[in-house]
Amino acid sequence: MKLEEVRRILDGEVVSGSKSLDIEVAMACGADLMSDVLAFIKQDALLITGLTNPQVVRTAEMVDVKAICFVRGKRPGQETITMAQKKSIPLLLTHLPMFEACGRLYKNGLPGCSEAE
Amino acid sequence: MKLEEIVHELKMDVRSAGRNLAREVRGGYASDLLSDVMANAEKDYLWVTLQIHQNIVAVAVLKELAGVIIVNGREPEPETLAKAEKEGVPILVTQLPTFEIVGRLHQLGFRGTA
Amino acid sequence: MGKDDGFGRVQELSYELKVGEVMTTTVITVAPDNRVGDLRELFRANKMSGTPVVAGDRLVGIISIEDFIKCLADGEMDCPVRMRMTEKVEVLYADEPVVHAIHKFDRRGFGRFPVLDRKTGHLVGILSKGDIIKGLLKKLEIDYHEEEIHHYRASHIFEDILADKTAIRLKYDVRGKDFENAGASASALKKTLSRLGFHPQVIRRVAIATYEAEMNIVVFTPKGQMLADIHPDHIEVKAVDKGPGIPDIERALVPGFSTAPEWVRELGFGAGMGLSNIQKSSDKMVLKSKVGKGTDLRMTFFLYR
Repeated sequence: MKLEEVRRILDGEVVSGSKSLDIEVAMACGADLMSDVLAFIKQDALLITGLTNPQVVRTAEMVDVKAICFVRGKRPGQETITMAQKKSIPLLLTHLPMFEACGRLYKNGLPGCSEAE
Repeated sequence: MKLEEIVHELKMDVRSAGRNLAREVRGGYASDLLSDVMANAEKDYLWVTLQIHQNIVAVAVLKELAGVIIVNGREPEPETLAKAEKEGVPILVTQLPTFEIVGRLHQLGFRGTA
Repeated sequence: MGKDDGFGRVQELSYELKVGEVMTTTVITVAPDNRVGDLRELFRANKMSGTPVVAGDRLVGIISIEDFIKCLADGEMDCPVRMRMTEKVEVLYADEPVVHAIHKFDRRGFGRFPVLDRKTGHLVGILSKGDIIKGLLKKLEIDYHEEEIHHYRASHIFEDILADKTAIRLKYDVRGKDFENAGASASALKKTLSRLGFHPQVIRRVAIATYEAEMNIVVFTPKGQMLADIHPDHIEVKAVDKGPGIPDIERALVPGFSTAPEWVRELGFGAGMGLSNIQKSSDKMVLKSKVGKGTDLRMTFFLYR
């Protein structure tokens, strides 16, 4: 699924990396515990999370996450944005809570990490 | 929809308070941060999380949640189960990750916004 | 890096590259006294749609194929270029970034701009959209080459070193409680391993384990070090600190067991999964710790399993 479609489905906005809206995410993972992201996520995934600190970007970098979407309208600080730009990881923001964001993307055909090849 | 129907539909395992499955579920909340759940989850919502610590029971009781789903095949700690049994909080487990179990709950008609 | 988003790089380049670097420097010009009729052969032979008019070193105007056609329609082919040229010429300067030129092309809709030297005011070249595209592509190719060279050099290092036994040691200092920079060592190590040409799966395992180990140092100790030893067939990463130590190692290894303070949990760490993640990602893990003395964690990753 293209990032632009993710943005549209979640009625979201682009925080940084607006030039990258045509990249593809292969699957999604929703989590707030970074150790679980490290343990379970596969590469080229969209990470959906309620946390906005720079370590979220660092975690994403370690496991080659394609893009990050922050939920509940929580806007990341400048440090997080700067790091994401440096690592070329686009950031989205949606006002939906995690449950609703995951539900809508799943309904639109985006698989989870246990289903995707 | 009642909790027991959801358990059946989504083939989850019940780990505690099997006596309280007749409860009506109104919606869902997914989060691994206790403070977030404390602040934002609603009464009679089903909580989806990776957390297995006994503090989840206290949060579920306080917010009058319908139950807790623990994802990724993770098992709750013994203290968590003992406490949940005592407080009557149903704890369910699934092999699926958060994204997928939430996706299926959404398909059953549950929403995350009030 | 190969994985960088190419579009962003192009945008960066459009600021870095100067008009003077991408313009065409051999410019065909005409003099003000040339006949308009002479332009026909010039335009045709050089496939041009316009050309600067120069008197001496000075740009005095520009004449386009449209000006020529009008002249033709009026039957005035003997008229001098001076009478039919546009005198007010939009120009670019050689020291301007390419992005300025792109905006100017957008706004004006012209096919090309004469380029002047800012100091002397002399005509030094001409710039078309095609020149910009060629310039950017060339630069991107060079960039790409440079990363390839890094990659090549690094990946052949073991073949080039003659010794009975070779190992490369990378050392990273980790500051405790510095949550913001936590993971910087793991990040640097990941990038280095990628340049050295290791398999992505190996890099991923090392990155995850190193990051978790680094996080433990940041959360629980005042400072520590990450030491990565790269051997031809395996990588060993040591995380050492002089922190408080772990009183009950067996318990610490139980998934979900954690002594992390609440602030760490709220940041998405300290859920007691770190050591089990390390165990899962590495081929061998040895954890030694003395209360009050510090902790020594060794992780081994075999390259060929």
